[in-house]
Amino acid sequence: MRIVIANGNNSADYIIENFKGRSHSLTIINDDRDVANKLARSSKLPVVLGDFTKVPTLKEAHIDDADLFIALGHKDADNYVGCLHARKQFGVKKCICIVQNPKNVEVFKRLGLDSVISSTETLVSSVLAESSLESLIKTMSFENDKIVMSEIVIKPNYLISHKRIMDINFPKEGSIACVYRRPRVIIPNGSTLILPKDKLFVLSTPESQKMLIDFVQKSKKK
Amino acid sequence: MMKSKILKNKTLIVGCSSLGATITNKYSSEGKNLMVIDKNPKNFDRLSDRFSGYTITGDVTSIDVLEEAGIASAKEIVIVTDQDNINIFVAHIARKIYDVPNIYVRLLDPNNEALIKGMDIKAIFPLELSYDKFNILRGGRR
Repeated sequence: MRIVIANGNNSADYIIENFKGRSHSLTIINDDRDVANKLARSSKLPVVLGDFTKVPTLKEAHIDDADLFIALGHKDADNYVGCLHARKQFGVKKCICIVQNPKNVEVFKRLGLDSVISSTETLVSSVLAESSLESLIKTMSFENDKIVMSEIVIKPNYLISHKRIMDINFPKEGSIACVYRRPRVIIPNGSTLILPKDKLFVLSTPESQKMLIDFVQKSKKK
Repeated sequence: MMKSKILKNKTLIVGCSSLGATITNKYSSEGKNLMVIDKNPKNFDRLSDRFSGYTITGDVTSIDVLEEAGIASAKEIVIVTDQDNINIFVAHIARKIYDVPNIYVRLLDPNNEALIKGMDIKAIFPLELSYDKFNILRGGRR
């Protein structure tokens, strides 16, 4: 795949390191002479010094035969115009860019550019995803998110604490795959007693995950 | 801060550049409803003493600032900051998201004309204008 990466300093460096040697051909555009020189030295890749929002610079980087264009400028409008030129004038199919203002992810989308990344938005959405399932619960997914495993720590006030698994009527939508009780790992059966501080590993589908977590965390009635 | 909704049929001037200020001052003397946005409040010094419209200091690439300025109900938007990329971005927002009836934009780089083609955005190219004027001055030969 032919990739053109525009601007960015450390971020460009990082992407280059990751893409190099994976049978990708990379070309770099940077408008800062020092950064351009540094990248040329460290990566040994072709580097074009210039403004990536200008047609002649993009031509010099042979963007017309690129499969992917990545714009890492620090001004949102620059990244917008760079991607637009790449797509409209040079027919690059895939353009990805970053934005500083998280609201511009949605704005770019409505204007027709849909591969837009905002670090703030990414951060917020991962926090939201975590907090919707109580921040203490770790989740892992398997088979393209068809199976999830939730990690739940038992507190003394939970209804199922100090009870045997056979007595808690665990929902059939999931199963307790494993119990970690320092320092032992227990493969549970019906007679396994659940104790405070136990870490339960519950397997389920994503759809029933919330229900199962709610079940485990139900508190004893006062 | 005034409520932008009060102003109906207003003209938004994006960028109080020399051209932005000149258009604003002219419009103001004709009694039009005006809202001028610029990132740098110092640029509002270019407005005449008789200017009676409103100003907002803010980043025009933020949709919140454009909303605050009342882009949703504007009948006309004149986009004349000194940066083409900002002007194109705002013009696209004005057309594709708010469908402002009349959109004018100044573009310094003729290569950018392709990016507004077919979008009913009226563009001013200073380079072209200067070249045309030059030709007139040298006797109409092109």
